[in-house]
Amino acid sequence: MTVAVGPEAISGQRRLFDTDRWLLALCFILPVAALVIFFLYPLAVVVIRSITEPDGSLGFANYVRVLDSANFWNATANSLTMTLSTTVLSVGLGLVVAYAVHRCRVPGRTVIQASVALPLLAPSLVQGLGLIFLLGRNGIVARASGIEIEIYGFWGLLLANMLYALPQATLIIGASLRSADARLYEAAEILGTPSWRQFIDITLPNIKFGLLSAAFVVFTVTITDFGNAATIGGDYTVLATEIYNQVVGQMNFNLGAVVGILLLLPTILAFYLERVAAQRQFGVASESAVPLTPVWTPRRDLPMMAAAGAIALMPIVTIGIVIYASFVRLWPYRFDLTLRHYSVTVAGGYDPLWTTVEISLLAGLVGTAALFALGLALQRAPRRLTKPIYFVCLLPAAVPGLVLGLAYIFAFNVPGTPLYALYGTAVLLAVCNVVHYATQGFLTTMTGLRQVPPALEETATCLGGGFARVVLDVIGPFMLPTLVSVFFFLFMRSMVTLSAVIFLVTPTVSVASVSIMRLDEAGFTSQAAAYATCTMAVVVAASALMRISLHLLDRRR
Amino acid sequence: MHLQIEQVRKSFGGVTALDGVSFAVEPREFVCLLGPSGCGKTTLLRLIAGLARPDSGRILLGGCDLTRLPARHRGFGIVFQSYSLFPNMTVARNIGYGLKIRGDSSARIKARVDELLEMIRLPHLADRYPWQLSGGQQQRVALARAVAVDPRLLLLDEPLSALDAKVRSELRQEIRDLQRRLGIPTIMVTHDQEEALTLSDRIVCMQHGRIAQIGTPDELYREPANRFVADFMGVSNLIEAEVIGRWAPQLLKSCPTRPDSGQLACIRPEDVVLVPGGTGARVSRVQFLGNVSRIHLEWPGGTLIAEQTGRTEIEEGTEMAIDFGASRCTWVANQ
Repeated sequence: MTVAVGPEAISGQRRLFDTDRWLLALCFILPVAALVIFFLYPLAVVVIRSITEPDGSLGFANYVRVLDSANFWNATANSLTMTLSTTVLSVGLGLVVAYAVHRCRVPGRTVIQASVALPLLAPSLVQGLGLIFLLGRNGIVARASGIEIEIYGFWGLLLANMLYALPQATLIIGASLRSADARLYEAAEILGTPSWRQFIDITLPNIKFGLLSAAFVVFTVTITDFGNAATIGGDYTVLATEIYNQVVGQMNFNLGAVVGILLLLPTILAFYLERVAAQRQFGVASESAVPLTPVWTPRRDLPMMAAAGAIALMPIVTIGIVIYASFVRLWPYRFDLTLRHYSVTVAGGYDPLWTTVEISLLAGLVGTAALFALGLALQRAPRRLTKPIYFVCLLPAAVPGLVLGLAYIFAFNVPGTPLYALYGTAVLLAVCNVVHYATQGFLTTMTGLRQVPPALEETATCLGGGFARVVLDVIGPFMLPTLVSVFFFLFMRSMVTLSAVIFLVTPTVSVASVSIMRLDEAGFTSQAAAYATCTMAVVVAASALMRISLHLLDRRR
Repeated sequence: MHLQIEQVRKSFGGVTALDGVSFAVEPREFVCLLGPSGCGKTTLLRLIAGLARPDSGRILLGGCDLTRLPARHRGFGIVFQSYSLFPNMTVARNIGYGLKIRGDSSARIKARVDELLEMIRLPHLADRYPWQLSGGQQQRVALARAVAVDPRLLLLDEPLSALDAKVRSELRQEIRDLQRRLGIPTIMVTHDQEEALTLSDRIVCMQHGRIAQIGTPDELYREPANRFVADFMGVSNLIEAEVIGRWAPQLLKSCPTRPDSGQLACIRPEDVVLVPGGTGARVSRVQFLGNVSRIHLEWPGGTLIAEQTGRTEIEEGTEMAIDFGASRCTWVANQ
């Protein structure tokens, strides 16, 4: 017997137990403190600034001014029209692609899926750029056919937004289509149900909440998007550009805050409804479902293949033409290939790109560590503590990037406060990105943690392992694939994001997507394309690296 | 060392899982916690392991109060139904993990791991990963891992339930041999009465968070304390005293209390002797179960079940006389 049991031994072990409690407390307090300082506090400041009047007193005059202005109502009407149109379009096309991929026997499914997902790897400006190269006044189509298309404005923005939202819509609808139980269809088949009735009576009811969830996600990303609106929106102002104009154009910070708060209302509502829908769709996955294997049905599969192929072609062409244009000597007059656009000298050259890589690495590392620690702590904390924190962790997804960026200016660009030291640093940009994308990372981490069998941890505990050991030896190895995914998710999002960081860049610390926007604004379109291509190269490399590491990890078990 | 459970209570959000449970485990003893799902047996095991805290009551080992001691300092071994081998470690590292945590030298760990691999007869699998093993092999490794640290108490949470029948009976014997050889006091949770009967020195039969009866397998089978235990431990004919008084009055002599006290006569099917050629009961159904045949009879007092070894000649529809031996009837409380 190696362990002595006596009162003295027990009291000694009590002390050991306390180090576990300290570790756990740290895992809880550090991320929660960060949430308060870098999320709740800035948001609170936005609210206060929105009700601060020019003379410093509090009141609703800003709201009255905003609600009285025709510009605001115009932007609101535009935003809603645009968002609803994009939602209908993206969910419809997303359903076609997802159905073709998961419920039909269509060759080249991985190619279709990969090309639809392409926009996730690119800064959101790229869709706009691509559409301009394609359909703009100097675009390929106008040159070849002589038809003048007015791409700036509603139609251009709709297309760009649709391309941007399609990957997420397809993913969510695909997930709900995948969870089907083949036995339902077999039963219907035996009852003699025609296939169109099976679609109406079985498929649609089963993916209903998946479609709703996709619709609310598309709604949120579209109404909060800034990159597309800035490049291709033209005179079609939406709420996101209205915030930017108030703040950057007219220096009306408080009015920008008001518009930001008003933009928060629909996004929070949409986000809440999305959570409800997602819970209904994915919360009750039946373990025993028999997966569905579609059989080759030419009557259904050939048209679906054509449709999905056509949809998948759009992102390929749009992004491909940006890459192509970056090599063309003088668009659209001289199409011989050159590398000269890659020598970017204005706007800090490639420095912002490297800064972005650093920021993204930092965001990935810090974010993954913080989310992992928080997840571990939440699993072990009493429920009354976890519920409010869970709620706060879900909120960032509902906060538009521009509002978050604005909140950071208000909170951190205040000379004389200790937090001012962070302003204008790459660290603050990294933190802002972590907060901006915290929700998805958080949900992924929690799902991963829930999959760690409790019996494994309990076995290690009974064998004498403390919290640190259990995390290192049991939970860590189990969670590694999840943590790798979260890291790369945060890294890739940080590489391409524009809306939150646009307010936080300074002449010395800037990021790639801002450089692309500046180059485009200044008329250096080919250089913007070159810059975007370099950024995408980094993200594609990261994505490949993620796949390789996940594959290696998968093989290890 | 001997384990004492004293008046342990535990509830989850208003639902009582354990309602004042007390019993003791003697040194070297093998005790089964037996009961249907939801009877609190797993909760009790988790409290003993230290994976949960009781609301009240005490758990003592060798006279020392363990109630507040966290699981990691109790020095117990545990085996779960789900094997729960660490997927990122080889078989050898899994077995040696507890020793590694204790800071034993790698030479000592290796020696002990080799010894245990020999004992579970899997030395050739030392460098495999858990997913490369069959269920039975995984559970043997889990067992070796649990006993590697010389636990003061071995806890088994339905260790055989995930295995198929043949592997289960093999491993059942192995667990028993191992426990005898090492002399580690062991508590096993199970819902399988056959498992409890063959493995245990004593069985703690649980019902609704309370102990229904504690005793040797023989006691629980021969003299169940109440209707629940009689039902749970195999098949039995439970007959009201009034019916017995009318149709088999000779059995009433064995009744310890007055016949109207709500006691039930418990007659095991193998004790119902059928006399061919007589009258009084009619065979309604014959089931062939392999080693025994089960015969359902329509008797004026209700339906009776009898069992005979092997295949029976009796055919459905024939008339039989029934002979109850008086000594073979026990009386149980109707609850």
